[in-house]
Amino acid sequence: MNKTALILGVSGQDGAYLSRLLLNKGYQVVGSSRDAQMSSFANLDHLGIKGQIQTESVSSNDFRSVLQVLKKVEPDEIYNLAGQSSVGLSFSQPVETFESIGIGTLNLLEAIRIQDMPVRFYNACSSECFGNTDGKRADEETPFRPRSPYAVAKAAAFWQVANYREAYGLFACSGLLFNHESPLRPERFVTQKIVREACQIKAGLQEKMKLGNISVMRDWGWAPEYVEAMWLMLQQDQADDYIVATGKTYSLEEMVETVFSSLGLNWQDHVELNPDLLRPTDIKISLADPGKAERELGWKAKYGMKEVATMMVEACIESIV
Amino acid sequence: MTKKALITGVTGQDGAYLSEFLLNKGYEVHGIKRRTSLFNTDRIDHLYQGPHEKQRQFVLHHGDMTDSSSLIHILQKVQPDEVYNLAAQSHVAVSFEEPEYTANSDALGALRILEAIRTIGLSEKTRYYQASTSELFGKVQETPQTETTPFYPRSPYAVAKLYAYWITVNYREAYGIYACNGILFNHESPVRGETFVTRKITRALSRIVLGLKKCVHLGNLDAKRDWGHAKDYVEMQWLMLQQEVPEDFVIATGKQYSVRDFVGAAASELGISIKWQGSGLEEQGIVDQVTRSENNAFDASLHVKPGDVIVRVDPRYFRPTEVETLLGDATKAKEKLGWVPKITFKELVAEMIHHDMDEARRDELCRNEGFRINSYYE
Repeated sequence: MNKTALILGVSGQDGAYLSRLLLNKGYQVVGSSRDAQMSSFANLDHLGIKGQIQTESVSSNDFRSVLQVLKKVEPDEIYNLAGQSSVGLSFSQPVETFESIGIGTLNLLEAIRIQDMPVRFYNACSSECFGNTDGKRADEETPFRPRSPYAVAKAAAFWQVANYREAYGLFACSGLLFNHESPLRPERFVTQKIVREACQIKAGLQEKMKLGNISVMRDWGWAPEYVEAMWLMLQQDQADDYIVATGKTYSLEEMVETVFSSLGLNWQDHVELNPDLLRPTDIKISLADPGKAERELGWKAKYGMKEVATMMVEACIESIV
Repeated sequence: MTKKALITGVTGQDGAYLSEFLLNKGYEVHGIKRRTSLFNTDRIDHLYQGPHEKQRQFVLHHGDMTDSSSLIHILQKVQPDEVYNLAAQSHVAVSFEEPEYTANSDALGALRILEAIRTIGLSEKTRYYQASTSELFGKVQETPQTETTPFYPRSPYAVAKLYAYWITVNYREAYGIYACNGILFNHESPVRGETFVTRKITRALSRIVLGLKKCVHLGNLDAKRDWGHAKDYVEMQWLMLQQEVPEDFVIATGKQYSVRDFVGAAASELGISIKWQGSGLEEQGIVDQVTRSENNAFDASLHVKPGDVIVRVDPRYFRPTEVETLLGDATKAKEKLGWVPKITFKELVAEMIHHDMDEARRDELCRNEGFRINSYYE
């Protein structure tokens, strides 16, 4: 019989790619959004799979809403990708950030526990939990040092998952995903902002681009392959937590350079640095050791920052032309 | 000018000791309490000043950690120099039963206060103390635990407190608020909540000695904790807010005893020695000898005799995930703040027993006069 997967936060980037992956594997996919009637599911549309997914309205910070959808769908696997996802926005909406991430995850864990379902649960955690690691590569044993309300909420959610796994034996995993991008990334994220605006500059629609701190260093990967790691985590004998990353770190400046040069432009002619775009606290450098995922899941990133940036530019040019 | 302090959780053990401490320092103390259908102000009744008294030094406000507008309103009105966030759903076992409420009051509660400080424009003026806890260390990653030991929370309570810890650090780093975490190891006193294991033991043994009760049921007897006296610890809370630079501190005695040790120490204050027999669920604490000590105004041998089983294990008090051992190293507090705990473990146990014997004797007297007494305590 086909397995059923429930994806909370199906309208986002990862939700769309994960849906496509699971459909290809023969799953029946149910996706939720806070208001399924009002949501356009543009990302699912973009991938041409909107019609194949049953959608439900779920607000994961409302326990009843969570319980109801679990009863109705009876999923074999749950992927919790819902929640406020922007580090920048979390400084202006810290309470909502914790309610959607912290309380949301807790409600899912509680609902699974009290229903006593043999469900496998994936929770989207984040490399932001590590904060600055003093130049060391973060692995699954590295202590957290979160630097934003978003990261603090994700750290709490990580430990909720670990606690429910240890206390009640739930099959529950956290994926500590480092930055992962794609053409479906919204423009609020810096990578897409750079790609979009660089393409506009190329097309002569704008001249300059404003950026904050371009010295920050990140490990950027390709979202469509990261969702495969999520699925793999739920196919193991034992539930565990994994880092998902490329293992290679670049500065934002290098990313900017890659984007502009793929368009035949010199970035220095077009970028203005604006300190107003700096965050109250930011992570200088994020470094990952994805060795455990390779050893235990057989998963390894195929694409690095350069390929990701180029593929995003290609997709963006197509959408403008 | 008189300094103003605002204490959330003022009706709790630490709130009461801290109120007393700050009043003695000349502070004007404001406390926040939840509205309940019964008064729950026993611990601060001796400090209470009615609304019609002139120049009150101690003022209570109704508010709730789950209600942002109440917190903003009180902070706006009081304009405190120091805020001590002691309010919380503070019981580890209860957090497994009420995880969402625990997250709401303990995690979001801290955030709501920090946000209120920013919103009102008190970021420069108000200093913030966050009651953090040794439960953050949970499944300990090293022993003893210090300010640099990685956390491994093992209960919904600990996870909520982990959130509060890091959000406090974040507001210090992001907005320059003078905000500190006190990572306090277990701290007890005669006004410790009755369902916490130390107080449960001292109350139960006092009642057993007077024949009001036969036996006490406990959970994990092997759990080891670093137990200090709350009165010592509230001084540290204040000291942390008097420094030039805000920092986080571990507060602990550096000595560790098991729950079984605590039972033995409490019993010996009553002139009873206990021998332990059996293991696991079958383990029992049995009276070995009863001696009447000279300082005791009562005779334990009237109701307790060698061979009586007075402690049993009940798995209902086990937790889904146990924290087996906690031991703190407060070297940083000693070096930077000059703080060392003054009250010893033995003195702590003696004070608790003394207090609970008084309560038990009051109940004994009532019972002997024909009044009905309640003996629930778990």
